[in-house]
Amino acid sequence: MERLHPRVRLLWALSSVVRTTVLAAVAFAVDRFLVALPQTAIAAGWLVLVLAGVGRALLAHRIWRFELQDDALFLIRGVVTRTDTSVPYVRVQHVDTTRGPIERSVGLASVVVYTAGSRGADITIPGLRPERATELRERLRDLAIESEATDAV
Amino acid sequence: MTRLHPRSAVVRVARGALQGAFFGFFAGSVGAGTAFLPALSVPLVAVFGALLGGGYALARYLRFRYELDGDTLSVESGVFARQSRQIPLGRVQNVDVEQNVVNRLLGLAVVRFETAGGSATEATLDAVDESEVDRLRNYVRRRERETAAESRVETDAARTGAGESDAGETTDDAFAGDDPGEPTGALDAASPDSEPDGDLLFEFGWRELLTYAVVSVRPAAPVLTLAGLPLGMDLVRVVLRFNADLVGVSAALRPWLFGSPEGTRLLVFAAVTLTQFLLLALAVSVALTVVEYHGFRLTRANGDLRYERGLLRRYSGNIPLEKVQTLTVRENVLMRRFGYASLAVETAGYSGGDQQSTQGVAVPLAARDEVSELARDVEPFGDLDFERPPERARRRYVARFSIAAAGLTAVAYAADSLVFETGYWWLALALFLPVVPAAHLRWRHRGFDLDDSVLATRSGFWRRTTRLVPYYRLQTVFVTRSPFQRRRDLATVGADTASSSSLLGGVARAYDLDEEVAVELREELRRRLTAHIAMRRRGESTADDADVGDDPNADEAVADDEAATGDEAMASEDPMETDDGAVADDEAATRDETATDDE
Repeated sequence: MERLHPRVRLLWALSSVVRTTVLAAVAFAVDRFLVALPQTAIAAGWLVLVLAGVGRALLAHRIWRFELQDDALFLIRGVVTRTDTSVPYVRVQHVDTTRGPIERSVGLASVVVYTAGSRGADITIPGLRPERATELRERLRDLAIESEATDAV
Repeated sequence: MTRLHPRSAVVRVARGALQGAFFGFFAGSVGAGTAFLPALSVPLVAVFGALLGGGYALARYLRFRYELDGDTLSVESGVFARQSRQIPLGRVQNVDVEQNVVNRLLGLAVVRFETAGGSATEATLDAVDESEVDRLRNYVRRRERETAAESRVETDAARTGAGESDAGETTDDAFAGDDPGEPTGALDAASPDSEPDGDLLFEFGWRELLTYAVVSVRPAAPVLTLAGLPLGMDLVRVVLRFNADLVGVSAALRPWLFGSPEGTRLLVFAAVTLTQFLLLALAVSVALTVVEYHGFRLTRANGDLRYERGLLRRYSGNIPLEKVQTLTVRENVLMRRFGYASLAVETAGYSGGDQQSTQGVAVPLAARDEVSELARDVEPFGDLDFERPPERARRRYVARFSIAAAGLTAVAYAADSLVFETGYWWLALALFLPVVPAAHLRWRHRGFDLDDSVLATRSGFWRRTTRLVPYYRLQTVFVTRSPFQRRRDLATVGADTASSSSLLGGVARAYDLDEEVAVELREELRRRLTAHIAMRRRGESTADDADVGDDPNADEAVADDEAATGDEAMASEDPMETDDGAVADDEAATRDETATDDE
């Protein structure tokens, strides 16, 4: 089974820092304009959330795995609730590669696989080197075509 | 290209003018109040608003044209941003017709076409007259049939295996069930246009309707009742006073009733009032259900399910059987007690929104064996024998409910010791009493079964939901384990389909299986998906005939591949080709291509 690029930990950690900082900024604004909040609590909360985010990033990287099996894309993920998902190639509608701003800054890319289903209609494989992402996208597309989908609905 | 019915233009212009006038009046009043405009400006602005609203409605009516041509429904619309949209008829999942009171008086109806893609209804014709509704419905149906038959003929010719095609037809006949005498050929040849009624599968009489209205409790009813209470405040006051007299609250106390310490009397008063309220809510719920489901009829014509219902606002619609994604059987406690069940047939077409759509449409209430017969008609399956979760799952539910009870007790204790100080917090310990029975009931009603053609999952005590998913409809299969499940080596298997109700969490789930069983189930589902798709491709379908035609056969695979590769490009730049040669390509393309060409 293939694992994600180790740098994805940095990506996730950075994203959690960004998210937490936004949250802290909101809290700060509330403190400033609405209700007085203890500044130390905001700082402590920021620190705790960032540490939790980093911990989560490390764990998530250890758990995340995916594999192109002979009839389906198979992935394992989830820190708290562990989920494994099988996406039969017959059901793949289309495949994207995406690169968000933080992803670009650490030099990674994601592949998103869409199905017609509703619960797991889009499945993202994050933390791929851009070449690998492109290669994976092409491969998935070929597999989807080989499997001769019908309506795919 | 045709326009909508002129009478609908009158309705829409009137509505637009009214809205415009209302908005104008409001804006004028605000202007007069704040910007010191002369009082005369209020009616002027209102008239201006009415003209604007009416004019816009008229322009929209004039711009809106539609046409059924070959395999496509083309719709042009939009006044400022113009839109032209083409929908391949083979991709239409449902055709729904709605008539509100005004439209019924005018003999008009709103027709909606749903495809699998997109988040909204793909085409709404508001409104056309009744004969046009029939024409549209029959045309769509006939085209679907014909395209199916055409590709089937090609398939058969390519295969030169007459035996196999015979086999295919025999299964069709078997599937037809209620009307085995009707030859399959009748689908496209004989009389697809006529047959206004088809076979009656199910009908609501007054008795069934009232039974249904009573047993199907609408959660919205109490809320609605509460919201409606202020309208009858006088009556409410009379009833409250009567209740107060009944329990013997002295007249002097009445004004302070809610603050009075007359504990028991207050309790009785509250109980009586609550009962009255609930009875009223029940009446409201019954009334709503009666209005919604009056005259419910489910018929089958040409391989379509057709439903009709509604007292004031009439709904009717067609569900092609070959588009069915999931069957859901729901029974609440009352219904189970009296041997009733409800059945929902879900396609990929409904986009969510109103209740009727998200639930899928079929039989609101019928005797259980009747429901299972109907379900088997739609998707043949054998007797279901559910495998329950392992015993330790029940221990998990006990633990879980105990934690909930303990939490509530803690809250009660905290609230009592901090606020009320009655010392009766230990009453909350009674919450532990139902823990074990509740856990048992939950465990007992959960399970799954791997039938020959469907995956069946079941869950819920108060409202037991059984989902039947044909293997060839599976999309993704996922196995989840929460930390609590991991401790007991349990896992939940979910089987996603393209059915629209799964957007609201209606995925078929087999809860709390043994880890090994779960993994085995996942693998088995994948195997069966592949096998059943292959089977349908070879024309050994047990379910229906049309989808066989839907499947591009192996010989055409190359052409299909091209179509599929070109998917994204085609979807973004161009609506579907409509010549007959493109049929096979149509089928191979994804739902994204249901050809919306928005500007």
